[in-house]
Amino acid sequence: MGEILLDVNDLKTRFRSRGSLVHAVNGVSFHLKRGETLGVVGESGCGKTVTMLSLLRLLPPAAQVESGSALFEEQDLLKMNFRQIQKVRGGKIGLIFQDPMTSFNPVLTIGDQVGESLIYHRHASKEVALERAIELLRLVGISDPEQRVKDYPHQFSGGMRQRAMIAMALACEPELIIADEPTTALDVTIQAQIVELVKDLRDRLGVAIIWITHDLSLVAGLADRIMVMYAGTVVEEATAEELFDDPRHPYTLGLLSALPAFQAEKNVRRLASIPGSPPDLRKQPTSCPFFPRCSFALERCQSELPALQPVAAGKNSSHRMACFVDTRERSAAA
Amino acid sequence: MTPSSTVDLKLASDGAANDEKAIGIWKDSFNRLLKNKMAVVSIVVVLIMFFFAIFGPSLTPYDFLTQDLSIRSQPPSAEHWLGTDYLGRDVLSRVIYGARTATLVSFLVVVLSSLIGVVVGSISGYFGGKVDFFLMWFTDLNMAFPNLVLGVVLAVSLRPPAGRWMEQMYLSTLNPVFRQSSLLDLALVVVVITLVAWCPYARLLRSQVMAVRNYNYVLAARALGLPTFTIITKYIIPNAIGPVIVQMSAGMGSAMLTESALSFIGIGINPPIPTWGNMINEGLRQWTSDPHLLLAPALVLGLMTVAFSFLGDGLNDALNPRQWKG
Repeated sequence: MGEILLDVNDLKTRFRSRGSLVHAVNGVSFHLKRGETLGVVGESGCGKTVTMLSLLRLLPPAAQVESGSALFEEQDLLKMNFRQIQKVRGGKIGLIFQDPMTSFNPVLTIGDQVGESLIYHRHASKEVALERAIELLRLVGISDPEQRVKDYPHQFSGGMRQRAMIAMALACEPELIIADEPTTALDVTIQAQIVELVKDLRDRLGVAIIWITHDLSLVAGLADRIMVMYAGTVVEEATAEELFDDPRHPYTLGLLSALPAFQAEKNVRRLASIPGSPPDLRKQPTSCPFFPRCSFALERCQSELPALQPVAAGKNSSHRMACFVDTRERSAAA
Repeated sequence: MTPSSTVDLKLASDGAANDEKAIGIWKDSFNRLLKNKMAVVSIVVVLIMFFFAIFGPSLTPYDFLTQDLSIRSQPPSAEHWLGTDYLGRDVLSRVIYGARTATLVSFLVVVLSSLIGVVVGSISGYFGGKVDFFLMWFTDLNMAFPNLVLGVVLAVSLRPPAGRWMEQMYLSTLNPVFRQSSLLDLALVVVVITLVAWCPYARLLRSQVMAVRNYNYVLAARALGLPTFTIITKYIIPNAIGPVIVQMSAGMGSAMLTESALSFIGIGINPPIPTWGNMINEGLRQWTSDPHLLLAPALVLGLMTVAFSFLGDGLNDALNPRQWKG
């Protein structure tokens, strides 16, 4: 760990939608070191997925990256030509999707699809690709992979397909895996298995991971650092310990209090929720996007957009947040 | 339920899943097709016709060109099952030989036009935008003309240059192949019908591709960095091709009809090569006195068209399990 693998700066992505512009991603900046795991948390529509699709330039035609840079191994992903970005996709960065049920081509066997990218990125022969596919399926814990490579996707269960998709993303030994809510479509026991599998693979292969989720508790034990997104912006970023021990941004506080607690004494209260709904992203934000739902809001929040800044100037930490309010002081005063 | 029985159930269902053989969607569809009676009858009719088309010349009782003016325009008899025409030629032999022409033409037309349609449709549907606009504009322009009218125009205007080219080729190579006017006829008919028949395939595949390209597995394939050509040929076309196969079956029937229509009005394949179209034309002259001369080729043509359309229906049901009842 140490060397910076991915450095995203001020990424802005817009959608054209019936004559208006939707500001889906509004100046997102983050970085990732080799072998590091970054959890990206936020509610639906806050720009998590669009940010990642922007990096790999897989956005739908209506969306466009307006500005920003994304240096991956010192090359800007956003300025690459089609051939270059194609080599990065699957070769250097693997993507795992949310819905394993629909992410496989029904007319090709699992083995074909898991090994496919090797044929293009590594110029492997079909036989070599199939052998590697068997190895990969064994690696992700599918039993009897020699037989299973010949199966079609419909013969795999949801959990097995998600394992196969992880195998597919790992095929070319990428430096980075972007997992876009990989466990959302799975039931809880399978979720836990997949999280364990990814942890195990990360430790064995040393691959960096960006894990997108709306479930804070899921990334708690998995991520080195956690980035909380709201309305297309990063509102807080900290190591996992710092975020859980010392959350600062009102939105993070809201998310944490909305988590079910497992300790008996805390179980008596009802789950908290954050009132209101996310802002309309068609307007260029000029105030704090969380302002209308924030219980700490100051007058200043209505007229100024807070920037992402280190929480404590002197402290040597990566804890950053975008808020004018010192929520610790205010909570203590209240 | 005791814990042990849950475990048993789980094991049992796992076993069942493993026993299930890998049935591809094509085999599955084929099984469904065989359950459709009309489709099976159509398949039998079509296979019989293909059989006669391939082995016809060695099966016909008489040569299709041998004239016997002593037995002109005879009704069906034991020697001549379907009678004889105005030159005393055996009608059954000519119908069988006509099947050869019709099958060859319609097969070539369907293969070529679906090929063009698949290429145009998949490019148009996958890339969208200006490419799509231009290609579909051209397709619509082509479809705006009635098929037969466009076919007639093309056949008439393509013949002189094609004839000149054949003549030149003969002079420079002295290969007698280029002197065969029947070959020129055949090639022209295939080209002309293909040029008017590819449009529905293109439109059909385009609409399918536009739906399939948004599926998750296509995004997944792009995220793996697979080349665009691979994505189109392995991820999109196999999942979009179903309706095109249905259209191909119906297209066999309509290509036969168009071929007959062109021959009927005398700008398709010319005598002495028998086609159902020119047989109908000849039969029409004396249909009040000798109706069998008209009925024999017309009924066979009708039967084939109906068979191909029922086969298309059957394929449609077999390839769209969601519409399939029962």
